[in-house]
Amino acid sequence: MLSPYGLDIIESCLTCKMRADRIFCDLNTAALQAFETIKYATAYPKGAVLFVEGQSPRGIFVLCKGRVKLSICATDGKTLILKIAEPGEVLGLSATVSGKPYELTAETIDPCQVNFVKREDFLRFLRDHSDACFKVAEQLSDKYNNACHEVRSLGLSHSAGEKLAKLLLEWSSRNGESVKVEPRLKLALTHEEIAQMIGTSRETVTRLFADLKKRQIVQSKGSTLVIRNKAALKALATNS
Amino acid sequence: MDSASHQSCFDCLLRPDRLFCDLPTHALEAFDSIKCLVHYPRGSLLFEEGQTARGIFVLCEGRVKLSVCSETGKRLTLRIASPGEVLGTSACLAGRQYEVTAESLDSAKVAVVRRKDLLKFLKNHSEACMQIVHLLSQDLHIAYERVRSLGLGRTRRVRIH
Repeated sequence: MLSPYGLDIIESCLTCKMRADRIFCDLNTAALQAFETIKYATAYPKGAVLFVEGQSPRGIFVLCKGRVKLSICATDGKTLILKIAEPGEVLGLSATVSGKPYELTAETIDPCQVNFVKREDFLRFLRDHSDACFKVAEQLSDKYNNACHEVRSLGLSHSAGEKLAKLLLEWSSRNGESVKVEPRLKLALTHEEIAQMIGTSRETVTRLFADLKKRQIVQSKGSTLVIRNKAALKALATNS
Repeated sequence: MDSASHQSCFDCLLRPDRLFCDLPTHALEAFDSIKCLVHYPRGSLLFEEGQTARGIFVLCEGRVKLSVCSETGKRLTLRIASPGEVLGTSACLAGRQYEVTAESLDSAKVAVVRRKDLLKFLKNHSEACMQIVHLLSQDLHIAYERVRSLGLGRTRRVRIH
């Protein structure tokens, strides 16, 4: 098969090398074979919309490659990004299970490979394979945890500075960077998108970054951000 | 509280109306054997945010307030849970800390199931697992609604710094 958008499409889940590392995909052989027959492997370019909030659920999207932006939108067009989904995550899960409209909008920010499964097929699959059902419960738990986190940060944080500091600390805690004295992180999002993650304006994010740099708390090298003073960032995240 | 305290789930008259409790006989038997019925007086804490999840709490009677707390001690009520709901599921399944605090608003009766027993129960009874998946989806819907109202609601407009 040709590789659209420069992606290497993984045709079969049975031969996927990444499978063992992914919560949902690591199914037993019987379940995996059943999954194989109901899924459609598809590729999307950057900026494609997988589903829009309010649409009635068609099915689930297993993200194999690339990242997807999950957001909610107000009627006046104001957007809030809930999460950047990474490979291995199942999208549209709760809506598909409950039959209610999708709660979020999912838009690709890289070229992505997505395995789509139709709603009826997926529900039947869950009933037949308790192993898969349990994994879905785990995935939902993860999402719930994330949503509670979001509620806490939106409802209880005082300022945009506090929320930005929290976000940077969270990002820097990935990939084992947190043990380092000066953790580094790749800023994969624009200021606009960061603003939408913490519920503020693009201008505020730019101003906050300038302030953090002036105070030598962070330093940017290209798209990499180095946290120079972790203690100060933590202090910003906990009070102010 | 009168003497309506049903020890066994089989004697519970409200069971058919409740999403989680309406299980097939063999699953209900298994559930009956692993649950432990606890009475909580009004204002007691079922579990606290940050505690490692010990188990799930099936609310039989009474209402429970679910809230989150900031480092400074400010509290935000997420919602009020009513009888029939299962609390602490997500933390329990993921083996994490409870993400909310649950406090009883009335004198409450709760069926508690330990984590270890729950995991075994769900693996053996796919119907129960499916119910849990449904309940989690509902919880998630409510949580997203809350995110929407907090993040995009009009009240935020006033709080510009």
